Amino acid sequence: MTNYAGYMGRVLEVDLSTRQEREYPWTDRERERYIGGKAMASKIMYDNFTGKEEPFGPENLIVIATGPVTGTFAPSSNRFDISTLSPLTGITTSSNCGGDFGFYLKKAGIDALVIRGQSQEPVWIEIDDGKFIYHDASTLWGLKTGESQERLKKELTALHGPKGRYGMVSIGPAGENRVLYAAVTSGERAAGRGGTGAVFGSKNLKAIVASGSHEIKLHDREKAMEHHKKWTAALKAHPLTGSQLPRLGTAGLVSTMQMRGQLATRNFSAGRFDAFEKVSGEALAEEENITNTGCLSCPIRCSRTVEVEGQKVKGPELETLGLFGPNLLNDNLKLVCRWNRELDELGMDSISCAGTIAWAMEANEKGLWNNGLEFGKVEGISQLLDDIAHRRGIGNELAQGSKRLSEKYGGQDFAIQSKGMELSAYEPRRAVGQGLGYAVSNRGGCHLNGGYLVVLEGLGLSIDQQTPKAKADFCMMMQDLMESISVCGHCLFTSYAVFPGFLISKPNSPISRFVNFIIPHIGWAIRLLNKFPGIACMNLPLIPYTYELRYAVGMKMNIGRFLKIGERSYNVERAVNARFGVSAEKDKLPKRLTNMLQDPNDPGSKVPLEQMKRIYYRARGWGKNGLPDEKKLKKLGIE
Amino acid sequence: MVTVKLFGLLRLDSGVKQLELEAATVRELYPRLLVELSRRSPASALTLKDLKACAVAVNECPAKPGTKLQDGDIVYLIPPIAGG
Repeated sequence: MTNYAGYMGRVLEVDLSTRQEREYPWTDRERERYIGGKAMASKIMYDNFTGKEEPFGPENLIVIATGPVTGTFAPSSNRFDISTLSPLTGITTSSNCGGDFGFYLKKAGIDALVIRGQSQEPVWIEIDDGKFIYHDASTLWGLKTGESQERLKKELTALHGPKGRYGMVSIGPAGENRVLYAAVTSGERAAGRGGTGAVFGSKNLKAIVASGSHEIKLHDREKAMEHHKKWTAALKAHPLTGSQLPRLGTAGLVSTMQMRGQLATRNFSAGRFDAFEKVSGEALAEEENITNTGCLSCPIRCSRTVEVEGQKVKGPELETLGLFGPNLLNDNLKLVCRWNRELDELGMDSISCAGTIAWAMEANEKGLWNNGLEFGKVEGISQLLDDIAHRRGIGNELAQGSKRLSEKYGGQDFAIQSKGMELSAYEPRRAVGQGLGYAVSNRGGCHLNGGYLVVLEGLGLSIDQQTPKAKADFCMMMQDLMESISVCGHCLFTSYAVFPGFLISKPNSPISRFVNFIIPHIGWAIRLLNKFPGIACMNLPLIPYTYELRYAVGMKMNIGRFLKIGERSYNVERAVNARFGVSAEKDKLPKRLTNMLQDPNDPGSKVPLEQMKRIYYRARGWGKNGLPDEKKLKKLGIE
Repeated sequence: MVTVKLFGLLRLDSGVKQLELEAATVRELYPRLLVELSRRSPASALTLKDLKACAVAVNECPAKPGTKLQDGDIVYLIPPIAGG
């Protein structure tokens, strides 16, 4: 039970071994401290994991958590999170997903599921208004994600008639076969990173379907609806969320990344691709894109729809475009669209998959592993993806990710991963703050969990891409801010509208120039704010999240408290990972990015990682070992 | 004669992918480009400010208004963009 609106007041623990459910204790005090989503999941793992658990063991947990605004119809705010111990990295991973499953889970009367144990037989779970039904999934086993979801809809129609409305998550063959970077798919959206799908597979859990008729209450309906209206208008008026993302999608970044030397090319050996125009967002919009679509209650509608083999399907995001395009020296956009579809259907993370293939191509070129893969050779990639998902031939090896393969064959210097997770498409030698983020990110080489500093380093604001000044401080602040936004259930894309539009659309104006100049000089102010969050005991119209928590949830909130929630979330996740061996030594990048220059004539074109890490740990109040001590955790109220 | 390539919403709004113009510097290019784009796409309502807000690269190297242009150069104009 809860006294807050937005929440359904129920967290359920589901034991797949015994097929029994029970209430997981989660109090309002914990809601105030962790809100929901991945912060809630991290705290649950903090309370349950000792450091001896195995990702594929029955003791591993899958925490599927919504936020209090999920389903309230706040703009772009219907997300849910899947957290677990990652088979790819051996530490925690949390993967955030759009679509509508979060909404329907709450309609079923549940805020979060904590799944443990292991089913003896393939199973899919139906949650109908809080009631659990365990169905035999043997006829679904082996099906791709789309077919699996279609079959589920038919079964549900046969059981309950045609009028039912459901949210569902399902794995594909990659998850069943425990590909270490297998995803969980919901509609056409995916909780992609870290191998959540493989953990589903290890538990013989094929799918979960949720439906129900519970009301998602708002604390002050009138004020909340008015706030949603204003916020939606602001998102539509902003140059990024109202124009660029709807019209070009995330793929629109390719051209700018090319000009700034940030477009990962040829397994991150370069930052520019000669044929970038053929795989740009503009080419996607002009040649392939049919329309743009969005998640439930989203006015941004960033998703592309393209045609693949006569079917209208979700188009590639920037990451897939960049990593299956320039990073493999492939300029065939149609093929990227096709592979993107195949990855979704097989249920695999496109980032880790592409990163592993790129490493294998280079390993083959260098004579370390004779596998037949070559940069620019695109024939056979479709078959390769299928082989990875079904663990056939070299696909069985590629299913392990680049870290394990480089430990086996050599070539660790060019295995582009951090903590075992492959990096996304931003080449960090031309965005050194992003490089720091990749290294210190709790879940491994992730652009978002790393704080997404590239948004300040050329893809938004235009601060010096190479300077390490203040990057550590902003990395910390951005990580915390993004955590806070995410745990509520909001899409991170709403955060772009936090930047005043003119700073982006008028980069040459005196104010924009001043902002870009001053940011590298105000790291001290960020540290001060982190130390004394009471300074920010206010709410500002630019930051809509605190108003949302006040009006929709009824929680006392200001900017300082909001940032502190993010900091607490980041620290508790770090504390869990410390039990699995994470420390400063694991916060690293491959030598290609830290020791080798992107441009031999520019001595600054590498990531000065150690220098930034020292400042980052200090700013976070962590020891030189890169970890929060008991005192720090206590100060944050992590018990 | 230089080749000007347009990107992002500038390209989508004007419907022009690339065009050829005479200009000795990037600064000189802007008004000529505006005239040409207005001629080809009268509905696009572009202004000189819109063009000057774009990131400019010449032969893929970042350029400034004073950057000199030579015959055969390729000028890239990319409107401000963010997020991913």
